[in-house]
Amino acid sequence: MTADATRVAIRHDGDIVEARQKGRELAQQIGFTGSDLTLIATAISEIARNIVVYAGHGNIDLSITEKNGKRGLLVVARDEGPGIPDIERAMRDGYSTGNSLGLGLPGSRRLMDDFEIDSAVGRGTTVIMRKWKA
Amino acid sequence: MAIPILKQGDVLIASLQAAPTDQDLIQLKDELAERIGHFRSRIVAIDVSALDVMDSFATRTLRSIAHATKLRGANTVIVGIQPDVAFAMVQLGLTLDGIETALDLDEGLALMRAQPDGGASGDR
Amino acid sequence: MSDQQSRLQSSSIPLNEAEVDRRKRIVDLSGEDISRIVTLRNMVAEHTSRYVDAFFRHLDDLGEAPALFGKREVLEEAKRRKREHLAAMTAAQYDRNYVEQRVALALLYSRHGVSTPVFLGAFHHLLRALGNDIMKSVKDPNDAFQRFISLKKVAFFDIGIMTDVLISERERTINLQQDAIRELSTPVLQIREGLLILPIIGMIDSQRAKQLTDGLLRSIRANRARMVVMDITGVAAVDSKVANHLIQTIAAARLMGSTVIVTGLSADVAQALVALGVDLGKISTTGDLQSGLEEAERMLGYRVVRTNETTGPRLSA
Repeated sequence: MTADATRVAIRHDGDIVEARQKGRELAQQIGFTGSDLTLIATAISEIARNIVVYAGHGNIDLSITEKNGKRGLLVVARDEGPGIPDIERAMRDGYSTGNSLGLGLPGSRRLMDDFEIDSAVGRGTTVIMRKWKA
Repeated sequence: MAIPILKQGDVLIASLQAAPTDQDLIQLKDELAERIGHFRSRIVAIDVSALDVMDSFATRTLRSIAHATKLRGANTVIVGIQPDVAFAMVQLGLTLDGIETALDLDEGLALMRAQPDGGASGDR
Repeated sequence: MSDQQSRLQSSSIPLNEAEVDRRKRIVDLSGEDISRIVTLRNMVAEHTSRYVDAFFRHLDDLGEAPALFGKREVLEEAKRRKREHLAAMTAAQYDRNYVEQRVALALLYSRHGVSTPVFLGAFHHLLRALGNDIMKSVKDPNDAFQRFISLKKVAFFDIGIMTDVLISERERTINLQQDAIRELSTPVLQIREGLLILPIIGMIDSQRAKQLTDGLLRSIRANRARMVVMDITGVAAVDSKVANHLIQTIAAARLMGSTVIVTGLSADVAQALVALGVDLGKISTTGDLQSGLEEAERMLGYRVVRTNETTGPRLSA
């Protein structure tokens, strides 16, 4: 399998495991090694869990991206859940409305190179993360 | 896929397989609590060396296992966290404050045995 | 051959048709040029040996590439490839195969110490010999000049490829050396069973910090190290980024089941850390390396005793 893009449907907690394994495989294909693979898999695990916990279901799209001759992994997590009313607060460590440590979003941002979040109450949340191969 | 729990004297050993689901972890927590009561175990060792990811959920569950264990009079040691996993956990902001950790099962059991109260203080 | 193929692939020059066409466009090589170049084929074929000699004699006279002349078979290969080059220059097939031959020759130069300016000097010497002959053999000076210019386009096409390879090979060598230096600069040493020492000396940038963490955590696992003494006597300044990184490394080691003692924390660095908001209470420190090692040994259950027979310290568990 050398597909350049994969979609993982997130419906229950078992899908979280699948999403991070697919992410790891694709990252390996790009040439990431060692600790970077673990950082990527962990970040995917966090945002996938966010979907399960807050939205119930959604998708994670994994693909290879390129910028200035650098290759990287692009992760797009999308759900049509309740959305996040205060993104700034949600990005602060320790803030959580669900039953978690509140590290999911701010923590994932630390694990990846780029992190964007777009959320509208009642319409859902999209998280875009990238990690560049140094 | 249930996580196997092994009993050796007063020790319970749980070895996590690669990529357990949230359900597996919750089930482990319940089963450990029940068996500690049943066997009057003193030490719980959880081997996580097969895990390639420890995210906030897994860490939180292990922490709550350690706390529940202590309430039942036993102590928990987490053994075998891999280098890459440890680094990712720290980056994510996850710690296991107040919970014993060790390089592997042998070290973990030796550490718990060496403590005067069999590890009941949980601190170093 | 397979070694060479992998070297070609590892060089940063893409060898696809589009790239070859792009390079032809850059030097403005047209069909007209090619028909002019073809007329020079016989002249070049006749004097190939002289041109090749001119090229290598100039290189030898310069004395700038002794490695190329040190081994007979290397020089013979270089000469053979140069002859092949001259034939190909006027054969007018400037395709992937042609580019691959140029890359292979440049890799040979790079391996045997021919630098970019030295190569350019020798190549210019060869072009001058070619130019003189063209002026002699073609009667109309304007025509001769046009033919020479067309050939020069091919020469510049070649130079573009050759210098790209020479430069990228040089960068590759420098990168390999830097990796090696970085690896040497953060050694993790096992001094007793279960006890590692990590002396950190000099500047820590983020690249080195990452390598340091990686190296330490892997060594902890490989050596089953329960204690680590991290000595930062040789670190002059610590900024918040580096301080954070060190603290994260210590926290990661603790998750694995290993305890880190930091030694050699100077008063200046300690104050700087406090000013940065680093909680020094979270890391265990001792003054100097020796006391750190003693503390680590004590925690591992070692006791150092001096015996009567020898003057050196001896360990007993």
